[in-house]
Amino acid sequence: MTDIKDDEWIAQMATLWQTRSKGLIHGLNLQVERANREGVRMRMPFNPNFCADEAETLLHGGVLTSLLDSAFGLSIFLAVGEIQTMATLDLRVDYLRPAKTRSDVIVEAQCHHQTRHIAFGTGQVMFDGAENEVVAHGTATFALTRGDQGAGHWSLRPKDGNEK
Amino acid sequence: MTKDELQAICNKIPYFRFLDFTIETAEPDSVTTTMPFADRHIGNPEAENYHGGIVASLLEATAALSVSDDWDAHPPKPINLTVDYMRPARSGTLNAKATISRKGRRMASVATVAWQDNEDKPVAKGLFHFLLV
Repeated sequence: MTDIKDDEWIAQMATLWQTRSKGLIHGLNLQVERANREGVRMRMPFNPNFCADEAETLLHGGVLTSLLDSAFGLSIFLAVGEIQTMATLDLRVDYLRPAKTRSDVIVEAQCHHQTRHIAFGTGQVMFDGAENEVVAHGTATFALTRGDQGAGHWSLRPKDGNEK
Repeated sequence: MTKDELQAICNKIPYFRFLDFTIETAEPDSVTTTMPFADRHIGNPEAENYHGGIVASLLEATAALSVSDDWDAHPPKPINLTVDYMRPARSGTLNAKATISRKGRRMASVATVAWQDNEDKPVAKGLFHFLLV
């Protein structure tokens, strides 16, 4: 858990996750602030395109769900370690407060339990400056195929060990 | 609300424009929508599948539109959701249908399904609760 090679692998995976991101994760402009086997923390700058109102003051719930799903992905990938494929089985989100601010969004996610085939995640969304007020809470389960090649569709491992 | 009224909402909500879906049908107890694939919907760097959050977002948007009587005065407030992911949503059109399970004065419960080529092979199903006041 604490050996240097493990720490290096985690740092490399977190960097790859961010630099190789495309599509929605790229569009969310997620910045990884902390990533280890115990959990991840990411920051999303306010983006008016993600609002649910014309005045552009309220983030749509679907954005919060997308943030949670994204953070679950990396947190479970790091917690499990050797993973070939990973698929979301289900996702549950409770919207606890309206997402009414233009502050940065903080999302944290943890893998709280894993078995051979299943990983369980929990996470929360807050706003910068008001981190004691959880805006959305999420739980998810993921189906895993373990392996040491990391060649599956969800792999973030560098191919042939040298891809950056 | 009519199909045209619902489409007018889609055209003015920033996140609905980002998703870029259109209204296919509008019935008193159900709404169907369709969304073309776009690179910004991709979920992971290896495969060009939809991000799970985008699938959930289309389901949530379709569900909210199905229970709305007066969007401008009382946009439905989402309380919670559960989404079951059944198949990978691959690059291609994504369709969604929301059917009202129960609608009272304050609460609504909506069942949703998303599919691609074949409605009998759903990619996801979702249950949503909304506060209407």
